[in-house]
Amino acid sequence: MKAARTYLTASALAIGLMSTSALAEELRFTVWSGNEAHLKMLNGIAESFKATHPDVTVKFETIPPADYTQKLTFQIAGGNPPDLGWMMEDAAPTFAKAAVLMDIGPSVKAAEGYDFGDLSQAAMGLWQDGDKVYGIPFSTSPFMIYYNKAMFDKAGLDDPLALAAKGEWNMDKFQEVAKKLTEANPGKWGFEFKDGEGYASRVMHALMPPIRAYGGDAWANGECGLDKPEAIAAVTQLHDMVFKDKSIVPPGEQGDYFSGNSAMTINQISRASKMPEAGFAWGIAPLPAGPGGESPVIGQAAIVVFDQGKQKDLAAEFVAHMTNKENVATMAQFFPPARKSVLETDTFINSNKLIPADQMKNLSAAISAGKVLPSHEKSPQIFAAMAPRIDGLWKADANVEDSLKAVCAAIEPLL
Amino acid sequence: MTETTLQQATARPKDAPWLSLKYREMLEAWLFISPTLIGFLIFFLGPLIAIVYYSMTEWNLLTQQATFVGLDNFHDALFVNPDFWHVVRNSVIFALGLVPLNMALALSLALALSRPFFGVVFFRTVFFAPVITSAIAWAIVWKFLLQGEAGAVNQMLAWVGIDGPNWLREPNWAMAAVIVTRVIKMVGLNMILYIAALQAIPRDYEEAARLEGASRWQIFRMIIWPLLAPTTLVIMVITTIGSFKVFDHIYQMTGGGPENGTLVLAYYIYQQGFEFFDVGYASALAMIMFVIVMVLTVVQVTVRRKGME
Amino acid sequence: MTNRQIRIIYRTCWTLALLIVAIPFVFPFLWMVSAGFKSVTEIFGAPSLIPRVWRFQNFVEVFTYQPFARQYFNSIYIALAVTALTLVISSLAGYALARMRFAGAGLLMLFLVSALMVPEEVTIIPNFFLIKWMGLMDTHWPLILLPTFGPHGVMATFLMRQYFLALPKELEEAGRMDGLSRLGIWWRIALPMSRPALAAVAIITFLFSWNLFLEPLIFLSSLEMFTLPLALSNFTDTYGLPLWNLQLAATTLAVVPILIVYLIAQRQIIESFALSGVKG
Repeated sequence: MKAARTYLTASALAIGLMSTSALAEELRFTVWSGNEAHLKMLNGIAESFKATHPDVTVKFETIPPADYTQKLTFQIAGGNPPDLGWMMEDAAPTFAKAAVLMDIGPSVKAAEGYDFGDLSQAAMGLWQDGDKVYGIPFSTSPFMIYYNKAMFDKAGLDDPLALAAKGEWNMDKFQEVAKKLTEANPGKWGFEFKDGEGYASRVMHALMPPIRAYGGDAWANGECGLDKPEAIAAVTQLHDMVFKDKSIVPPGEQGDYFSGNSAMTINQISRASKMPEAGFAWGIAPLPAGPGGESPVIGQAAIVVFDQGKQKDLAAEFVAHMTNKENVATMAQFFPPARKSVLETDTFINSNKLIPADQMKNLSAAISAGKVLPSHEKSPQIFAAMAPRIDGLWKADANVEDSLKAVCAAIEPLL
Repeated sequence: MTETTLQQATARPKDAPWLSLKYREMLEAWLFISPTLIGFLIFFLGPLIAIVYYSMTEWNLLTQQATFVGLDNFHDALFVNPDFWHVVRNSVIFALGLVPLNMALALSLALALSRPFFGVVFFRTVFFAPVITSAIAWAIVWKFLLQGEAGAVNQMLAWVGIDGPNWLREPNWAMAAVIVTRVIKMVGLNMILYIAALQAIPRDYEEAARLEGASRWQIFRMIIWPLLAPTTLVIMVITTIGSFKVFDHIYQMTGGGPENGTLVLAYYIYQQGFEFFDVGYASALAMIMFVIVMVLTVVQVTVRRKGME
Repeated sequence: MTNRQIRIIYRTCWTLALLIVAIPFVFPFLWMVSAGFKSVTEIFGAPSLIPRVWRFQNFVEVFTYQPFARQYFNSIYIALAVTALTLVISSLAGYALARMRFAGAGLLMLFLVSALMVPEEVTIIPNFFLIKWMGLMDTHWPLILLPTFGPHGVMATFLMRQYFLALPKELEEAGRMDGLSRLGIWWRIALPMSRPALAAVAIITFLFSWNLFLEPLIFLSSLEMFTLPLALSNFTDTYGLPLWNLQLAATTLAVVPILIVYLIAQRQIIESFALSGVKG
């Protein structure tokens, strides 16, 4: 109440409205999480930074995830850049190309006890350009199958974890169980795309796991891969599941996995925090393998420093602090790490209260073997060019091959 | 405004005038207008001039580098980029669907509600309520109502045996859905303008016609409709221009999709400028939009004058 | 059947027809409120206007997933600021345009009229850089300045001018005889006589600011700076997962108070819009 009154007074005087110019030693750090537990942990790390930098405070600012990249752009273009921030993999090349990210390589490599080589090379790929380091991943999170144990039991089926242990967890089996699950649970579905957004904002998250399992990719070396035979086979299978088997929640319908309306979904381990309130037995398993073998898909996010920030050297020091071994181990309770030393320890395997150790091992394996989602310096344009053509794909009578060819035709000039 | 300043101000004219009355009045007038005028110059006219320059640059929002490219952006829009004409087509379809539907419904409702009867206030209040509601809130709710099979609209259609389409997933249905929900949202405004105009028509005209044995339709056709002409023309042009401005409704309901089926000019400008960071091209689009709207305004002025005659 | 009976049947049919037409106008509001009390599962289940399970905690959780109270406050105070500012400057300018003779008045009018129709999408890009240059990104200033001085402010000016023109001049002339300055006449005589016009401008301006979307979308980036429409448009949890039922509960909280005020003062509000539409 008092704060509100103070604010009212301030705005009445038209002072509260002015851009709050940062204090000399305050670092602005944008994140997309508003989760209290996350922020508590982050503030703890900021607090420990005071051991070496007593005057420095870090202010974490939450920007909603859906508009994160865009709002960040507005801040940078608007002359009001944060000092540091989280960044998703699909935005990385755009920002690196625009030269708004600072090369933090020298800072972190020089930090005491940092051990730069401990960061997995696979995880660093996206954030390095020659000697330059544009970011340090703090979350290297593979896509996993979440399943509803009760619905599998009802259908009398082995769950994905058991199938994976037997080596039978592949795309064909995936289609088969999804169909049986749908039949055994009327009004519900076998599978839901990530967050139910597979036809809209999470198209890539829906398409990439099967395409990679078939050995394809979205694009590589300036060439579109979506109209290659591997991708066509993978997407045809998904299309059949949606429209022939009707085992995947179709466009325009809601079949929320977390509310018990779908037997399986794909998601990252951060969503495990939603499971306790879901009220059914569950587990996580690797993605189904395909003709291309096992091919885990990883969503990644890194900490970056903005080149226009006023205190970028200090910010870079904070990155080194935040991603040292100790703090990476701390963050591992929420964010799967990119440090080999942390990944291989039992501490990580046992770090998640919600997920049993044997399932965490699958996660660990996926991080080591996985490949990050596709990204490109023109990601926003590419995704926008894809969207209308992908819309055309998700119709019962669509010709998958033609639709994917249209997608490629639309994005090829941009690649 | 305190008493003292008022008194000081009031004291002046009694003293020897330091300016002749005419100039004094002029100065005062400009002072009265200056807040509006200065704000107008800074936030409206300045930007309008700036956009002419912007539209001739290649300018990335993120890198903040601008290079002069002459008329390339316009060339791109008009002759190279196939999306542009698609977007113009969508905007025209949107206007052609929205304007007649809005006006016909507004006039019908106004005719029904211009005379007092039991419940007239209730109906006016109901039909006007969406006008004061935020377009975002309105679009949020309709987006739910128009979901595939689970949506309330299709469930209701199912009761009467109609298998409704997946409204927001089919480009043509999505366009229809956006138009109709927009009409429902905004028709109340035109309705009250028509009601005001209808109430201004002297009753005797109608009475006289009725005494001569004219039917209701004849009275409407021969008396009311011609008398409404000025209002109709004004409403038509305002609604048409308004239809080019629709952004929030589409942003929330369809995001321009599916298959770019509802991507209209206002949204396209936003997308190019603020999602793809292509400031130059977006500015060229804004210029084109400005020209379109200005042409419509000139049409309005001409039409208004004719209406007056 | 007597004439009277025919008329009653006729009336009833009319009212029934109007009631059917009213469905799409009323149903969204009813559905919104009802869904605000439902769980996600029920929202997408069989439709009914009465929730099977009343989930009151939706309205509590709205305040935990986003700084909703703060966003609500932002919307209110910004709308009040825009309204106050618009009232002052539009009535000043409107008075001058109505009552004072000065060189350039005609040209100025033409100038301002042309602004009326230009959509804000046209000027938003240069305004983005202007606000950046002023150092006002992610503050509420652009949401106050742009609506006040944009086409909406011009509309308010014309509305005021029109009203002043219709006022009798005698009182003002008497005021001038008494030695009032122009400012004094405006403040003491013209404004008190223009309450209906001022009320109309206030109502329309408040709602205009309250519902503003494009400007907040572009100028605001921190959650606690958001205004209601922006907050509603993407009501997600911390992972970006849409919170359907909370979005509807939040929408209900944003819409219903305005709706209640509207129901109480519907006559005044509708007349305000009629005034603006005719003059605009």
